Amino acid sequence: MPRLGLGDLISAGPRAVSRYTGTLLAVFVAQSIVAATCTLAAALVFARVFAHLPMFDEAVDGDLVALIYCLRYNPATIVAIAGIAFGAVALWQLASWFLIGGIYGVLAQRPEGRGDTARCFGASGASTYLAYLRLALCALPGWLIVVALVYTGLDMVGERIAYAVTVADLVGPLLIAVVPGALLAHVLWTVSDYARVELTLRQDSHDPGVIAAYVRTLGYVLRRPVTLVHGALGWLLFGLVTAAYAYLAQGHPMYGTDGAITLFVARAGVSLLRMAIRFGVLAGQVELGRTRPLPPRRVEVKVDAKS
Amino acid sequence: MLRSTVLLTAAFAATAAGGCGRDRANPRVRPMPKIDGSPALRGGGPARSPRNASYKIEARLDPVRHTIAASETLTWTNIGTTAVDTLPFHLYLNAFKNDQSLFMRTSRGVRASDTGWGYIQIDSVHIAGADLTAALRAPAGAGPDETVVELPLAQPVEPGATIEVSFAFTDQLPEVFARTGYKADFHLIGQWFPKIGVRVGPPGAERWECQPMHANTEFFADFGTYDVALTVPGTQTVAATGVLTNAVDAGHGLRTLTFHAEDVHDFAWMADPFMEVMSGQAKLAGDGTVEVRVYYRPEQRGFARRHLEAAVGAIEKFSAMFVPYPWPILSVIDPPPEAAPTAGGMEYPTLVTTREDSVFNRPGIRRPELVTVHEVGHNWFQGVLASNEAEEAWLDEGVNLWADARVMAAIYGPRTSALDWMGWQAEVSAMARAADSPALGLPSPIATAAYAFPDHTAYSEASYLQTARALQTLERTVGSQRFAAAMKTYARTFAFRHPTGRDLFATLDKELGEDFSWYFGPVFHEVGQLQLALRNPQCRPAHPPRGVFGDGAARKTVTERDARDTGTWTCEVVVQNTGALHVPVDIELRFADGSTKQLHWDDRGTGNWERFVVERSSRLVEVWLDPEGKIALDNPVAHHFRLAGEGLPSLRAGAWIGSFAQTVMQIVGP
Repeated sequence: MPRLGLGDLISAGPRAVSRYTGTLLAVFVAQSIVAATCTLAAALVFARVFAHLPMFDEAVDGDLVALIYCLRYNPATIVAIAGIAFGAVALWQLASWFLIGGIYGVLAQRPEGRGDTARCFGASGASTYLAYLRLALCALPGWLIVVALVYTGLDMVGERIAYAVTVADLVGPLLIAVVPGALLAHVLWTVSDYARVELTLRQDSHDPGVIAAYVRTLGYVLRRPVTLVHGALGWLLFGLVTAAYAYLAQGHPMYGTDGAITLFVARAGVSLLRMAIRFGVLAGQVELGRTRPLPPRRVEVKVDAKS
Repeated sequence: MLRSTVLLTAAFAATAAGGCGRDRANPRVRPMPKIDGSPALRGGGPARSPRNASYKIEARLDPVRHTIAASETLTWTNIGTTAVDTLPFHLYLNAFKNDQSLFMRTSRGVRASDTGWGYIQIDSVHIAGADLTAALRAPAGAGPDETVVELPLAQPVEPGATIEVSFAFTDQLPEVFARTGYKADFHLIGQWFPKIGVRVGPPGAERWECQPMHANTEFFADFGTYDVALTVPGTQTVAATGVLTNAVDAGHGLRTLTFHAEDVHDFAWMADPFMEVMSGQAKLAGDGTVEVRVYYRPEQRGFARRHLEAAVGAIEKFSAMFVPYPWPILSVIDPPPEAAPTAGGMEYPTLVTTREDSVFNRPGIRRPELVTVHEVGHNWFQGVLASNEAEEAWLDEGVNLWADARVMAAIYGPRTSALDWMGWQAEVSAMARAADSPALGLPSPIATAAYAFPDHTAYSEASYLQTARALQTLERTVGSQRFAAAMKTYARTFAFRHPTGRDLFATLDKELGEDFSWYFGPVFHEVGQLQLALRNPQCRPAHPPRGVFGDGAARKTVTERDARDTGTWTCEVVVQNTGALHVPVDIELRFADGSTKQLHWDDRGTGNWERFVVERSSRLVEVWLDPEGKIALDNPVAHHFRLAGEGLPSLRAGAWIGSFAQTVMQIVGP
């Protein structure tokens, strides 16, 4: 197997996006449906409380004082909206184990044609779903450590952040508080991704087992920093796109129906671009995952009850 | 594995290095400060107050032990009409002596640490050479609180007579608490010397007002002159009330700085080895200038500029609105951030402390400026108009807060006085009203003694915010210019005196030419709020009567066909006020053809609701209570109501939520 470098991983992204654009769009449509459902539910809640109150119009148009009044007017509304958003994200999290399994399956098996691709996507997503679920549980202790690290970091430097008077005063303590947790989170994230790749690629042939795959992948990721750098570049690009949109959108409230449509199109474009970035990263991970040493085969003993 | 480990270790090391704190060099000896050439009162001239409580103090600061060794001579004149046989003195620092002080007990144990207690110890008291130290006693009922002490006199002080009392005392400063004490090298020294109480009450029935220090109460004292000699290490930068009249080397690396102040009722000072000074000049319209000095640590230079601009603007605007700032200098102390939460935001005559220096308060977020304006404003509302802060805290805090909104608007613009940042804009009073309106009704009226509120939140809501809202409502009701003129008269009439709430109300009644007892009574003296609301406004097509009319042969049924709609609309609006406060309210009805109709409801004595029926050629589309926003005492969200719901804003808000959720989805999933 050739040893792949960072350039190979990155270049795998655009190739996969161009080859499986339909798959990317299908996942995006599914996500957009969840987001649209969330939008409509939130809009209904807002309308029920605020449709008759013009001050809400001013709040939505960027009047900060009106916004504060409205938020304080009916706190239960805020709880309801938060619940809707959380529900949408939780739903997507559950769906994502299927969708990522499907994407990895397609990228690994490289099916041709729409029908084969769809079948491959569905079969792979379904076959790895429970394994991914167990993998998420397996990764949970690591995430608890991340939370503890960030909490401890913030606790250590909280006073210094509170007393920071310049940006330089703020950056140091903030880095101390956040970077260890963020680094560990990135490692865990990358390990989970590559463990999924292994489960997808080797499930049928080697049945590596979830915990074994996770532990093996942890070692692999730490031995191959390119996995971390590649993932970090993906997140960096993801963040840059989000920041660029926020920067460009700032000061353009986009009033009225035309504005709302423009805003919708712009947000959809940004979301699609970010999804393409994530898709590209997954493609690079599959490429590298193929080159990993094979896991040991599990010996399966079949016992015939009649004998 | 090695490379990953190296990468991660390097990242940790880089973050740790980036987070190292700021190191301070050893303090250097400062050049001897220049003497202020100006008289203690701007332009000199005669005394503006009775000056019946004047102090001469010599004090030496030990910045390592945080102690002050001092002697004091009080010259007190009985300006009342009855003889006095006992002198009460505030010993405010004893509020921080132990957890049995009234302050600590009513603060609900805010101090958790066993270190950093502070106290004042009277070493001796003499009158006319006689040692009366042993005669000092706690007032009756003081219990374990030691913030007031009484000195019985062998000879009463007759009306018009003067007495001199000499003290020797030692202060142990607390770790900065309730705006006095030390934090590392920073020392803010306020309420630090024995201070005599105030004779109040009508002639012939005067009594002492000398409240112990409660959790919520501030201060009350008579005017006088202060001559204070402060001996400090030469490394210290010192700011103090008054003007510097002398600076001499005291040997052993020490120097003695002498300050003189006139027509003030307190003396506070600050000493810090790292502070720098930035100064500017406030120009009073046709009445000279005031030098404004901001004391700050080097890393706070950017904020010092903002405080200076705010302080200069505040002096100019407050002087124009009320009475000219009477002293030549104002010092603004910008405490180090770690001291600011407990040292910042305090007012003393000619010296105030500010706060809110934070990286999060970017230029345009005017929280630091608002604190400075508020504290500078206290030089009028309690510095010049020396009301009793313990009994009527609203008279300085709330009135000052009302004035702050006007001053901030004058300095920073009416729409951007609180916020002008990244496209967000807000005005001070609107922002405060939106953000701080109490979730629960206030349990005590505004005119409650500061120590009689059930908790600090109730005290601050009533004394600050509700008072400012009440004055703003009255101002908008009678007209801004008329109200401003009346407040100016109040300030000029009671400058350098001890005005009460009654004086303020009487002045406003007189100047506005109306008896406002209907307003002042419930708003300031009663519990309850204004709670205006609309009850289901509706509109239906108008038509002649329909139904069955008459009896027997004359019975006639009028159907919809017989009595067709007239093409006009009958609209009903019910306005209610379920609160305890009652103020007249304007109502604007807006119709589909763009026309409007103005109504007025004065519910004083007419019940809690009123039904308005209007027949019109166009249907009603919107109802707006108080369309000009005169009433600041109620939450206005539901004051403006449209009969047909509008869904687009809700959809836009929902889309924002959906977009946010989708971003999170893309982080947790593909």
